[in-house]
Amino acid sequence: MAIDQEHFVHLARPLAPSVLGYGGSSAPLAVNIQPQAVFSIIDHAVRRDIRDTQSTRVIGALVGIRSEDGSEVEVRSTFAIPHTENEDQVEVDVEYQKNMLALTLKASPRETLLGWYTTSHELNSFSALIQNFFASPETGTFPHPAVHLTISTEAGQAIETKTYISAPVAVNAERAAESCLFIEVPHKLLFTDAERAALGSVTAAAENENRSAPIVSDIENLAQALETVSDLLERVSGFVGDVMDEEREGNHALGQYLMNALSLAPKVAPTAIENDFNNHIQDVLMVSYLANTIRTQIELAQRLATAPLVGGEKEGEKKEGEEGAKQEGGRPSRGGKRGGRGGGRGGGQRGEPREPRESNE
Amino acid sequence: MADSQKDVPFKSVQVEALVVMKIVKHCSSSFPTTATGSIVGMDTNGVLEITNTFPFPTVDVSSTDSHQNDASSLAAAAPRAKANIAYQNEMIRHLKEVNVDANNVGWYTSATMGNFINLSFIENQYHYQRDNDKTVALVHDVSRSSQGALSLRAFKLSNDFMAAYKEGKFTTESLQKSKLTFKDIIVEVPVIVHDSHLLTSFLHQIPALPDNPTIDLPTSLDDIRRDPARIPAHPSFDALDVSIDPFLEKTCDLLLESIEAHYTDLNNHQYYQRQLTREQFKITQWQTKRKAENAARLAAKQTPLPEDEWQRLFKLPQEPSRLEGMLNAKQVEQYSKQVDGFTANITSKMFAVRGNLLPE
Repeated sequence: MAIDQEHFVHLARPLAPSVLGYGGSSAPLAVNIQPQAVFSIIDHAVRRDIRDTQSTRVIGALVGIRSEDGSEVEVRSTFAIPHTENEDQVEVDVEYQKNMLALTLKASPRETLLGWYTTSHELNSFSALIQNFFASPETGTFPHPAVHLTISTEAGQAIETKTYISAPVAVNAERAAESCLFIEVPHKLLFTDAERAALGSVTAAAENENRSAPIVSDIENLAQALETVSDLLERVSGFVGDVMDEEREGNHALGQYLMNALSLAPKVAPTAIENDFNNHIQDVLMVSYLANTIRTQIELAQRLATAPLVGGEKEGEKKEGEEGAKQEGGRPSRGGKRGGRGGGRGGGQRGEPREPRESNE
Repeated sequence: MADSQKDVPFKSVQVEALVVMKIVKHCSSSFPTTATGSIVGMDTNGVLEITNTFPFPTVDVSSTDSHQNDASSLAAAAPRAKANIAYQNEMIRHLKEVNVDANNVGWYTSATMGNFINLSFIENQYHYQRDNDKTVALVHDVSRSSQGALSLRAFKLSNDFMAAYKEGKFTTESLQKSKLTFKDIIVEVPVIVHDSHLLTSFLHQIPALPDNPTIDLPTSLDDIRRDPARIPAHPSFDALDVSIDPFLEKTCDLLLESIEAHYTDLNNHQYYQRQLTREQFKITQWQTKRKAENAARLAAKQTPLPEDEWQRLFKLPQEPSRLEGMLNAKQVEQYSKQVDGFTANITSKMFAVRGNLLPE
């Protein structure tokens, strides 16, 4: 799932002569940002310390994966870097950045340093300074361009993200370190399927007034989903009803779309459905029943094992033997493989000599 | 579980959205290998707030499939490995400099279909809880989360169990004395997901249900295809998936595995008990023999031989630990509860499908 996708004009980036020697490419760069990276940045912005700095922005490093040809980067995680910024100077804790990068890469060796982020859209000479630091051969991403991500975290306004790469530009050699040309590149916020569930519960929390929500069970989740779906269906049928009653202008495209969707409904004979339904539900209920039986048996076995009477174990084992037999019998439609396995063991146990002590069933 | 609730120093665990995302990402990217990491946060007014997390470094086992289990077991043991404790301290020291809560409050692990209750889990949590009572183990179930609902649970060991584990004795006798059952091993703590203000604002920009009643109507089918409806993340429609059988099947497999483990455990005990009876029988034999001998010597006016020499001559076998069995029972309980949940889900879905396909 990708959001924040928009049409984008790629600008060619002026190449520095030194880059050419390394075969640096001028191919467009696409930046994919994973949600936890954004979440980290936002968390960092909330936790900023403004006691000994005049700036309200924070900076940090972007870590992630670069595709082989370098035309696509994926920001997977970030870490914060302490920095102070005053009117005429900026101080970044380089040592900290180095150590933290080493620590982060130790846990995920496949990732590399990609660039840096800050929490304001302003690009100034300090930005250029830091950008050159991150793009330099010794401490940065050279020969690949360093990505600069800006997120506006102004309270009460929409949170916008922008990504840039840079090209060196300067009037003379002395000023090269503190100037560079930022070029905006497109970026996407990318959610993988695995994150959908997590995002769901996080969004659920965002919809509550106290910004927190308990983790719901599967069945509650199902109920919520069903309610939403039935609301949506209601809406569609309301629209269709309005069109039928000529209270609203119809729409051909929508009508066609709905027809296509409805024609996908399968036509199955009622008896077949009834049959399948009964079979399946019996299977499911049987599995549930067996699972609970096993639980009871094992619980009993545990109780008996520590109960102050002799021979408790044998009873537990006996029951278990019967369990295997039950499994064999109770699974008519679900492939012989597993049933056979359980049954085989059950049979094996039955064949074993054991104390003739009857359990109290 | 309600009765053991009282020995928990906090009532619930409040997990920041950032932590949720990070854990989910780490666990799903290393799936099916187990992933573990450390969590930091602080405890305020009976709520344990978890505000940040970082993964533990994985040992670089060559990534062929045959070594997968090794990697898994190494990762599972990571939270108590020496190198990782150093790593964790170093990381926390660094996080402290950027105003992140610098208290370790436990660790997290990934699981598949709830199969996390094992010795390794207990050892890890014991390792943390021994030093600090306010630590918790977060378990993220990757397989279950893929069905739509996030599965993130928090556990800690009960105080009774901590005491018992400290002594390291899980014999029948000690269990009878302490009345510890498998239900008292771990305590589940409710988990609450929490967003910061800024994050809430960000999340509201991510597609939600359309709230504008008048939208531009499309002019052709292509319009609809080109601009598909954005599906909101909550409530997740993945939960409506009808095929739940693979999950049931997997749980059944795991249940059978547990039964197998249970059976092995029982066999061990039976073996022990047979061994014990045999030894005891030998001792009694020896004792009666010695008694007869002594009686003979007494009759012959000789000094009797000592009668407690059997303690040196025979050794009683060591009783195997009951812990494995207890954990297994807990695991089975966990599985069957899971099956209950599945059943509730699938039956309602099935009735819905039938109602839909068979109009009255």
